[in-house]
Amino acid sequence: MSGQGECFDPPLEAKKQDSVYHQVKEFLDKGETVAVATIVSTKGSTPREVGAKMVVTAWGEILGTIGGGCGEADVKREAIEVIRTHKPRMVRVDLLDDISSDSPAVCGGIMNIFVDPWWKERDTEATGEK
Amino acid sequence: MTALSEELARISEQGVSAVLATIVEAVGNDRVEAGAKCLVVDGKVKANTVGDARVLQAIVRDSEAILSGEKSKLVALDLANDGKLQIFFEVMLEPPKLIVVGAGHIAVPLVQIAKILDFYVTVIDDRLLYANRERFPAADEVLVGDMAQMLKEMTLTPSCYIVLITRGHKYDEPCLREILHSKAKYIGMIGSRRRIKACFQRFRDQEKIAEEVIERVYAPIGLDIATETPPEIALSILAEVIKVRRGGKAASLSGH
Repeated sequence: MSGQGECFDPPLEAKKQDSVYHQVKEFLDKGETVAVATIVSTKGSTPREVGAKMVVTAWGEILGTIGGGCGEADVKREAIEVIRTHKPRMVRVDLLDDISSDSPAVCGGIMNIFVDPWWKERDTEATGEK
Repeated sequence: MTALSEELARISEQGVSAVLATIVEAVGNDRVEAGAKCLVVDGKVKANTVGDARVLQAIVRDSEAILSGEKSKLVALDLANDGKLQIFFEVMLEPPKLIVVGAGHIAVPLVQIAKILDFYVTVIDDRLLYANRERFPAADEVLVGDMAQMLKEMTLTPSCYIVLITRGHKYDEPCLREILHSKAKYIGMIGSRRRIKACFQRFRDQEKIAEEVIERVYAPIGLDIATETPPEIALSILAEVIKVRRGGKAASLSGH
């Protein structure tokens, strides 16, 4: 038996067609509102870099990752509120509290995440007037 | 009318460089709200929901510097009496392109390593015997023709890294002349110190090329790692390219 049998292949790199904005567009075309959560600043050690994004649907479905663990669950809860109210908000995820847990996100850093609602009318407003 | 998400999807698909600025926090300013966005492509506003002209101007101004830094980041904008904004600039980058000029013995390992590093690789040479698919199966493009002329006709952006490794200075020099004033992020040229010195002196004396333009050129090419074989030289060239791309500090043979 191969000694490397227990290694999992990393997930295949997302195809270009699967960019966050392709996903957003697909939901918007179906008339849904989604929230895009983006890491806008970090302090200390964090699981993912500034600019990492995930899309959250009204039902709490997640596409992409901002690092997993408790932080992501908090962001998901906030995102559902953001979708409901159509108002963006900034969420601070403190990974310091996680130190005793089994979470893979025990990094010791802080992430500021901007959670932004996207819906059809808002999306076309931007390109309507130049 | 295309929506913003559609525009952004297209940008990521086509590999165009762009900046999406999003207001993430607005304090003491009622004309700008969190969530407002502005998409800047090629220094022009492609889409916008930022209502304040002054803020819009600041975004366009900052976009270029942030794009050339190649990193998304949060920027604070202090508008004095008009409050304070936090703006997140998301950088969308064209994939890095490596243009290998000269398809000789260093080009072969150079192209192989560059593909591992995820560059879009173009090889050019005027000899079909060298510039062909069999020799460079991994290259994205292999072009045959007058090298200087081909470089002249290319659109060179800040995502371009150019390596001049032709079979002699007779060929390197006219190529260098075509790209010296381009927007390419990196220009490296192979050659002995003596020949490079002579080449630069001609550029200064006969063509009145400014010193800061000449100083852009990494020549002799590569990092100082005491290379001996063609694959080692290829590695030192690409290590230098990575240094320039990411802003590292390792010593280049050119003294950069």
